[in-house]
Formats: sequence, C-alpha cells, structure tokens
Amino acid sequence: MRAKGYFGGFGGFYVPEVLVASLKELERDYQQISQTAEFEAELQSLLRDYAGRPTPLYYARSLSDRAGGARIFLKREDLAHTGSHKINNAIGQALLAKRMGRSRVICETGAGQHGVATATACALLDLECEVYMGETDVERQKLNCYRMNLLGAKINVVKSGSRTLKDSINEAMRDYAATSEDTHYLLGSVVGPHPYPTIVREFQSVIGTETKEQMARETGGLPDALVACVGGGSNSIGLFHPFIDDEHVQMFGAEAAGDGIETGKHCASVVVGEEGVLHGSRTLILQDDDGQVSDTSSVAAGLDYPAVGPEHAHLSASKRAKYFGVTDQEAVLAFHLLSEAEGIIPALESAHAVHLAAKIAREFSKDQSIVVCLSGRGDKDVAQIAKLEGRL
Amino acid sequence: MSRIAATFERLAESEEGAYIPYVCCGDRGVEFTGELMRRLSRAGADVIELGLPFSDPLADGPTIQAAMVRSLSSGFKVATLFDLISRARSDGMDTPIVVMTYYNLIIRMGLDIFCKRLAEAGADGILPVDLPMEESADLERIAGAHELDVIRLVSPTTNDERMAQILQSARGFVYAVAISGVTGQRDSLPHSAIAMLKRLRDKSDLPIAIGFGISNQEQVRQAIAAGASGVVEGSALIDIYARGLSEGEDGALDLVEKHAREMKDSARAAVASREKRS
Repeated sequence: MRAKGYFGGFGGFYVPEVLVASLKELERDYQQISQTAEFEAELQSLLRDYAGRPTPLYYARSLSDRAGGARIFLKREDLAHTGSHKINNAIGQALLAKRMGRSRVICETGAGQHGVATATACALLDLECEVYMGETDVERQKLNCYRMNLLGAKINVVKSGSRTLKDSINEAMRDYAATSEDTHYLLGSVVGPHPYPTIVREFQSVIGTETKEQMARETGGLPDALVACVGGGSNSIGLFHPFIDDEHVQMFGAEAAGDGIETGKHCASVVVGEEGVLHGSRTLILQDDDGQVSDTSSVAAGLDYPAVGPEHAHLSASKRAKYFGVTDQEAVLAFHLLSEAEGIIPALESAHAVHLAAKIAREFSKDQSIVVCLSGRGDKDVAQIAKLEGRL
Repeated sequence: MSRIAATFERLAESEEGAYIPYVCCGDRGVEFTGELMRRLSRAGADVIELGLPFSDPLADGPTIQAAMVRSLSSGFKVATLFDLISRARSDGMDTPIVVMTYYNLIIRMGLDIFCKRLAEAGADGILPVDLPMEESADLERIAGAHELDVIRLVSPTTNDERMAQILQSARGFVYAVAISGVTGQRDSLPHSAIAMLKRLRDKSDLPIAIGFGISNQEQVRQAIAAGASGVVEGSALIDIYARGLSEGEDGALDLVEKHAREMKDSARAAVASREKRS
C-alpha cells in the first residue's frame, strides 16, 4: 500500500505512529469540509472583506526599464492584511480548525509572518493561539513578536537544535502529537507530511488564480514567466500551481544562497540539496554525509529552512520549474532597488525574487511579461537592514 | 529462530517480563556507550535498544534530544554504530540488539548497505521511528533479506483496523507507545495505554514491549498486568547517569546498573503475579 500525497517521487507520510490518526482525520475532514458551499462562501468573503483580496497586479514600469527586457508585473501580496501571503493559508486553515471543532491552534514561524497571520486569524475566529518560534528568530524579529502578543497569541521560544524554523516545526509536531484532540497544527508552508503540502497549496493557489485573470485583462494572455522566492515554498507554489498545465509559462524559483553556495552558508535546498526525509516528507534536504540536517543561513529568516516542499522537488526533477540561488548581498541590493525605483519596500524574502526577475528579464523581449510574487512587505526588515548598513 | 524470538520464547517459558533499556549512541562518548551496553546486559537486559542520534528527532522529548545533541556535537558518525555492535559481539555479548533510528539516516546510507552492515555487525532488528506502515514496504523487504526484524510501533490512537494491519507485518516484538506524545518520564501509565495493551493482546501472540514515559517499577507492574511482555526505558536512564556523572563514569554506570537490576526484578516478578491472579 502506497501512501497518498506524492508529487512524483516526493512527498508522502513519514511520521511517528502517534501522529498518524490525527493526520488521517485532518485529511478526511479537509476533504469533506473544504468541498462544502458554506465553507467556500465564508472563506471567499473573509479573503475579500478581511484580507483585502484580490491583491493588485501592478506593472512595475521603472523596475522593468532598469532591468531592460520583459515587462515586470508585481503580484502585490504585500498589500494583503498582515503584510504577506501567509494570511491566505492562515484564514483557510483557521476556518477549517473551527469547523473541525478545535479550540486551540498552534503554529511554527521563522520570520514571524506566518505567526502574525495565524495569530490574526485566531483573533478573528476566537481560537486560542500558541506560536513556536526559534530563539534566534525571536531576537531578529522582535517587532513581529510584539505584534503576535498584541493579537493575543502566546509565543513559545524554542531553544532546541539550531533554534530556527526547522526546530520550531519539530516542537510544534511534538505538541500536536500530544494535543491533537483539541488542537489544530496550522502549518505555514507546503512542507511536512501529507496532507499539509496539498492543503497549504490549495489555500495559496488563490495567488496564481487571481494572477491568471488579471494578466488576461491586462495583456490579453498568459505571462511568459513567473518568479517567486522559495523557502518552504508556499508563495511560489501558490503562484505556480494554477499555471502548471500552461506549458509555455516558464517558472523560476529564487532560493536563498546566503553568503554564497560555495561557502556552505545558505539554504538553497533545491539547487544543492539531496533526497531524504525531513518533517514527514521525502524531499530535497541540505544534509551531511551521515544524513544529519545542516544548519542554514540567510539574511531572510523566512527562507531559512534546510529543505523544501515536496512539490517543488518534483517540479525541479521534472524540469517544469528552474531554481536559482540569490545571495544575501544580491537580495539586499534588490531591496534597495525596488524601494527606490517603485516606492515599494519589499520583504527580504521577496527581494530574492525581485533580483532573479530583474536578472532574467534581459533574456526576454519588451513585448513579453514576467510576474513576480511580491510575497511580503519589508517593514519587518527595515531595522535589520539599517543595522547591517551601520545606520542604526 | 532469530535472537529476538528466542529471547522472548525463553522469557515466556520462565515466566519473566522483558526489560529493554534504550541507549543513545555516543552520548558521553562512544566508550561510555560500549560500557553502558555491557553493564545493562550484565544487569539482565533482555534486548538493548541502540538509538542513533539525529539532528531533528521529532518523536523524542527534551532528555533524549539533549543526549543526541551532545553525541552529535562530539562528532558521532553513523559508521561508529556498526563498530559498537561488532565490538559487543566479539566481547561475547549475546543480548539481542535493536537499532532505533530516524529514517533519513537509513536512506542516506542506502537501505541495502545500512541493513547489510547492521546484519554483519550482529544487530537483530531495526526500529524506524518515523516510518509508518504506508511507507515501509522497501525497508521490510530489504531488512528481511538480511534477516533483520523490522519492529513496528503502535500507539493508543492506532485504531483496531490499522492495528491488525500493522501486526500482520510485525516481526520480533511489537513496540507499544504508551502515550500520545514524545519520549520522556511520566509517573504512571495512562488509561489509554492500558486499553491499547488489551487490544493488542486480543489480536496477536507477538511479544509486546511498551515504552515512552517508563521510569519506575510501579509502571512495570501495571504494564505487565495489562498484558505487556516487557518494558522499554530510555529518558530515565539518561537522567540517572547524568546525575551519577558527578561521581565519575564508574559511579554513573554503577547507578544505571543498580536501577536496571531493580527494573528487571520487577519485570520478572510481575509476570508471576499476573499468572497467579488469572
């Protein structure tokens, strides 16, 4: 018997037996509940009136001119409520948790964007919320921690392992194994065991679905290429997935190359990772010769993850999408570029995608178009950049 | 007959419960691990569970994770596991050895090479903590070819239908997880664990070892009275030698050995008192 939830040879269900019953229940409830008309209506109404969807698709004329090539459009997820695409999945899963009869929600967070989105959805839907966040991340994302507190969430500081996102996922899974009767684990990316990669993708696909309609209105056709940053890979899968069967639409993922791939201090798991099992999924992982998971590094906390969602591993293996590393330095330059050229301060995560888009734009002609998922706004990163550049 | 099966057969004949200590490889050094195995075997351990340290042990609680971190940061390599086992065998240790590991470490080496080296070193079984039955066909086939038992886990939340399926492919003994959660000490056995043991007993004649949260003799009596064939103890042992280390390594090992003897005595007595009652 083969487990469900495979994307080619990646994905699956590699979990301790104590988690099996809860995950099977989640799979079953998700299939039933998400199909109902009331759920769909409630979700659509919240996405529109509360989260501010559809988010705009903006033609970045000045950025396009500077890049010199294709017309670059920005899918403005930074304008969604809470400042990133994370709200799409948080509202979807929080509604699901409510309908599954759960009173408590737990989640992991790296940069804090998913923690803020989850705390927001829980405040809205009157659910108790606890966020697992690595000690290292708590220090570098103080503002988001305060936001979560304001929203009524409790932060559990994770002091095990590397004290970043991967350890927060370990801790949240441990909590879930003991508490799933009344608790929903609201996983924030397209990682983890089945059914998470599918559930999160479905709630994030609104990004690509809207983009398709907006491009049809704007240009009368499909874009020629899509670009998004890839940590776990939720905003990118959200943008890519509705276009997978449109073979002429090229897809590019920007992974964090940190100090440079050759230094070993990065988190480019598709570019240089190797097959293995982490957090319940068979996927590409940064690991040593023994199979111990590597410590990772990126200026963008939200990309600081040593593996990638299994569907990305499949898109890469099947050559449907291409993945490139973007260094910290390149991302910071793109952070400034977009701020100056367009008056939009991007999240450092999204700045990786902006860099890659500006770079590949030259390979396209002026009548072609590229859509970049601007997954989040950069307010959370301003203090970090100012400090990095000695201005604070 | 496999060494594991022979051990449980002998225990059934002599009406003894099994005591199965867990040892985290490389914690406090590889030499310490080897000595710990020897002392536990001498104290009457019926099976030794050797745990491979992993960077992301999501089924384990803080005590075992901390032990794994210590082991890995002192440079432990998977290859050392095979040396530990073959050394124990060449020193004459005959206690069955089951290797508890996260699946990524097996995948990384390659299923066939991993199983081959384990079998050659003298191990008897593999317990992959994060490999549910849906994903285990490859490992079962390859381990079987090397005459290694793949030990299956069940938990209190495993329903009857699934339990029956798991038992079909179970070899050696069944590992019953006492709590819904991670490893680490608890005071007593939860009701759900007792109920799970009864459900398992109704469905299978395989030996049942119960673990996660086991640390005292009262739990041993409870578990065996409810139908377990033995108990697995892990985090508590790590705490015991951590406390004893202030007296030096020998002092720590003495404490572990003394505790292991008491646990084994309880396991021995518990079956007799169960038989008397029924």
